[in-house]
Amino acid sequence: MISLIKGPSFSQPQPLIFDIKRNALEDGPGIRTTLFFKGCHLHCIWCQNPESIDPAPEIGFYPASCIKSGECVNVCKTGACQVENPWRIDREKCDRCGDCVKVCPGRGLRQIGCFYPVEELISILLRDRVFYEVSGGGITLSGGEPTFHMEYISLILQKLKMQGIHTAIQTNGFFDWSEFKAKVLNWVDVIMFDIKLADPKEHLKYTGRKNCLILENLGRLFKERPKDIIPRIPLIPGITATTQNLKAISELFQGLKITRCSLLAYNPIGLSKAENIGKPIPPELSRHMMTPAEEKKCREIFSWAELVGF
Amino acid sequence: MDKNSITIQDLSLQEITLERLPRLKKLRDLHFDTKPEICLELPRLMTYYMKNLDPPASPERERWRAGNKEDSPELRSGKLNKYILENKRPVIIDGNLLAGTTTTKQIGVILYPHLLGQSIWPELETVSRRKKNPFGITIEEIDELNFEIFPYWMNRTIQEVARKENGNPPCQKLMERIVFFIATKAYCISHTVPDYAAVVERGLLDIINEAKEKELSLGNSSNDKEKRDFYQAAQLSLNGILSYAANLSRLAASMAQEENNPVRKEELLRMSEVCSKVPAQKPATFREAVNAVWICRIALLQENSSIAMSPGRLDQVLYPLYRRDMEQGMSLSEAVELVGCLWLKICDQAPLAPEVSEELFGGSGCNQAITLGGIDMEGKDAVNDLTYVMLRATELLKVRDPNINARYHPEINKKEYLERLCDVNINTGATPCFHNDISAIEALQGQGVTLEHARDYSSVGCVEITSSGRTFAHTGCILMNLPSALELAFFQGKHRLTEDEQIGPVTKSPEDMDSFEEFREVLATQLAWLIDQAVTLNNNFGKAYQKIHPSPMQSAIMEGCMEKGKDVIQGGALYNSSGAAMIGIAEVVDSMTAIEEFVFKKKLISFSELLEAINKNWENYEKLQAMVKTSTEKFGTDSEMAKKNADWLIAFLHNTFQSKENYRGGKYTVGYWTMTNHAGFGALSGALPSGRVKGEPFPSGITPVSGAAPELTPCLNFVANLDHTNIADGHALNLKYTPSTTTVPKFADTVEAFFKMGGLQVQFNIIDRKTLEDARKYPERYPDLFVRVSGYSAYFKDLSPHMQQEIITRAEYHLDTGREVPY
Repeated sequence: MISLIKGPSFSQPQPLIFDIKRNALEDGPGIRTTLFFKGCHLHCIWCQNPESIDPAPEIGFYPASCIKSGECVNVCKTGACQVENPWRIDREKCDRCGDCVKVCPGRGLRQIGCFYPVEELISILLRDRVFYEVSGGGITLSGGEPTFHMEYISLILQKLKMQGIHTAIQTNGFFDWSEFKAKVLNWVDVIMFDIKLADPKEHLKYTGRKNCLILENLGRLFKERPKDIIPRIPLIPGITATTQNLKAISELFQGLKITRCSLLAYNPIGLSKAENIGKPIPPELSRHMMTPAEEKKCREIFSWAELVGF
Repeated sequence: MDKNSITIQDLSLQEITLERLPRLKKLRDLHFDTKPEICLELPRLMTYYMKNLDPPASPERERWRAGNKEDSPELRSGKLNKYILENKRPVIIDGNLLAGTTTTKQIGVILYPHLLGQSIWPELETVSRRKKNPFGITIEEIDELNFEIFPYWMNRTIQEVARKENGNPPCQKLMERIVFFIATKAYCISHTVPDYAAVVERGLLDIINEAKEKELSLGNSSNDKEKRDFYQAAQLSLNGILSYAANLSRLAASMAQEENNPVRKEELLRMSEVCSKVPAQKPATFREAVNAVWICRIALLQENSSIAMSPGRLDQVLYPLYRRDMEQGMSLSEAVELVGCLWLKICDQAPLAPEVSEELFGGSGCNQAITLGGIDMEGKDAVNDLTYVMLRATELLKVRDPNINARYHPEINKKEYLERLCDVNINTGATPCFHNDISAIEALQGQGVTLEHARDYSSVGCVEITSSGRTFAHTGCILMNLPSALELAFFQGKHRLTEDEQIGPVTKSPEDMDSFEEFREVLATQLAWLIDQAVTLNNNFGKAYQKIHPSPMQSAIMEGCMEKGKDVIQGGALYNSSGAAMIGIAEVVDSMTAIEEFVFKKKLISFSELLEAINKNWENYEKLQAMVKTSTEKFGTDSEMAKKNADWLIAFLHNTFQSKENYRGGKYTVGYWTMTNHAGFGALSGALPSGRVKGEPFPSGITPVSGAAPELTPCLNFVANLDHTNIADGHALNLKYTPSTTTVPKFADTVEAFFKMGGLQVQFNIIDRKTLEDARKYPERYPDLFVRVSGYSAYFKDLSPHMQQEIITRAEYHLDTGREVPY
């Protein structure tokens, strides 16, 4: 595991990374390292990384690692840390100062999100270089939303490209096109582009934004780099995984002459992560994995397309 | 056509199934339904011979022979071998295509009376009823052992002879404390690969003739007597094998006469014909070659223990005749069937395990390693059609023995071969393990093995590497509990288990240490002392073998001995190293690193406070324990501190062992594999600065401590970057993957990347935790679930509770994400 406390203090508005996942086999071709950035323009209620939305550092509580030393209570200035609270932190009171994390002996409390100077990050990413070379893998930027930190990722991508590393990005598509084109596009090999809901009102309801910009960007990107785009649809039971929505997206794709896409089966892992950071769980979300039959039903709508999986 | 060109279209041979091979299916079912039985044939024959026929044993004969020179130990062994094999009962017991059995039972447990056969003596009444690994035995057999066999051998075992010769030395008493090291020679010396290529390319008659010529070419001087005795002993031993084969042939013929089923009759007639030819003559067909190897193997197991007696590179040795038969019309499914028959024969015996050693070695097979693939002596791709046939047989049978080791040369072997290996690994759950040819060959060259011979290496026992058919290496002669040296370093030469007794040298107290380097010096002192003890004891045992149990049969089937006129036990083989396995490396490195980080670097705690914490088994020190355990400075991570300490320790052990000479004039090499000893030694060991609590199993092989290195690629990077030329006795990096059939190419890429960075060996358990937990609850539902335990395979149901727990909690890497699956 990486050490979570490093770099400057909590208050600086810096691009934060909340996880560096090595040996990632599902985030693009080959064996990869995936960077998870903190901060997102959308607020999808089903987000499987609920800790990724807020760009500021957060404090997570992991009960299985807590040895109940009480150290957090001793240092907490606001009285937010309470041993008797099964979730340890009263989020109303917590000012996210991070003192409790520093004294926690067993990693029961963890800082989510830390800043990496570019050179340090690159050196971590290059540790698995042989794995990338052998497998045709590389680095994937994910989140949160990587384009939330356009300048930073631009630097990272350029440095990686100078090293000859394959790069990929997973994006929600909600970015300024000209900035993306100038700072990112030339240095990414694969773009995984999420499309969630076809209907703008629904989109606004569940993600906090309308989808006009996203669809525009999809069209522009597809025109520019048709071979390198993989549109992806997260299948959320009852929300995106409805026949109506999927059919609408399917038509949209066909209209753009898109030939391949990915369907991402729902998983409820995000719910447990929400608990760690004291986020309420939206009642409309399923607590179960999708059944193969449910998945199959969704796939059938896209029977015309090449379905990509890694 | 290229020598080894692949003609098989579907490398996975999917069309060949157990359903289409009813013989194999039946034999496999029989194997899993059979409870092993203790077999008295060998100890009975040995005891009778030694009591009545071995010249020096009988006072009257001795008087009669007065004035004559006594037989040398080699000649006595040769005569014994001949007697045993002439009188060994030929048995054709099931529908297997190969004649002969290692014991007289379907699955027999051989009691080697001169080794540790007697360890079962106190348990004879209970061994058939014990919960773990019961062995069948009758009342009559118990009586025979109690009154006839064991009393004779009481003072004639390797252990007791060595004790007497050396005046019950401290090193032997130290071993009996169990917590420091085990010198295994008292149990077996057979960690070796016989020269089966000679059996297949020449036949035994040719070898006998060579020995005869060599004998005749010697003068009559008494100087040559030793050599002459050796050549005679070799001939006697091989002639014994020929007698046994002839007996098998006669039995098959007479069974054929009485057989009504025409198909079986024909099989028996063919069996009779085959055994009348081989192994005397050079085999002419694939089937004859497989039979020749099998008969020689049975014979070799009458001379030496079955533990780690490894068949070696059978896909190379048998390939020319396989190819000949394929050209003559043999079908692939016939080939798989014959290979499967051999595999099932190889597991027709089980190792003897008394209750105590069941705790330490619980559930292990005999570790009879077969090695596939890699490159040949010229450096060319050695993977051939037979490699794939053997892989398919392995995949179909899923048996514990033989232990399949796959060699892969990342620059010369094809990727499709590696992918097939991964595929078999996923389908069997635990086998084969992967060896990197580049690193293994370099490690052997570092030991003075020539390039050609190094390229011809095979795995012995668990994962040890030796040049095939020309190395007598006893690669597992010492099993050392590394953390016990930590104990001695902490407590000025005392161990918490042996309390006030001064075990090692008195060294500086940790309270008085000012630097980490000072502690390291003390650790080095204690390690060097322990190594000295273990080596002395191993050499004592070796000398006892030279006195009472040379191995002329093994020597006749081993390159070098004929040339030198010397038994393997005297250094007759071409290469003569000894191998020592270190147990608990990751635990020691993590403990060293915790001391360096918390005591000396961050100065968060004093050394004495840390020792107080481990003495209390972390009670009231939970905060400190949590801090130590969650530190990122661990073996198997990106930690530079841990890397530095691992490099130091591995170099120190290598250099210290290399400075010692064994009784055959060879050097000691060091390996990191543990079989199941990590659980046994762990159970006997206290809390450690790594954060470990008392009694927990140590991590296996060279694997990180469970939970300490949760990510796969840093773990592989860490181990790949260790200097493998200091690990010439091999290592087992034991990782667990949860099953997934969709990720074969990425799995193969993972292995390939590890090898390109210099990794020596890696093995994967493809099993999910749920399955294991279910298997722990309902062992009867999982008779064939087997797991690889640091270098070898064992059936899960046979493992001790400690071991089962260890398997379940061991770092489990999810194949899809490479993350540890949360428990």
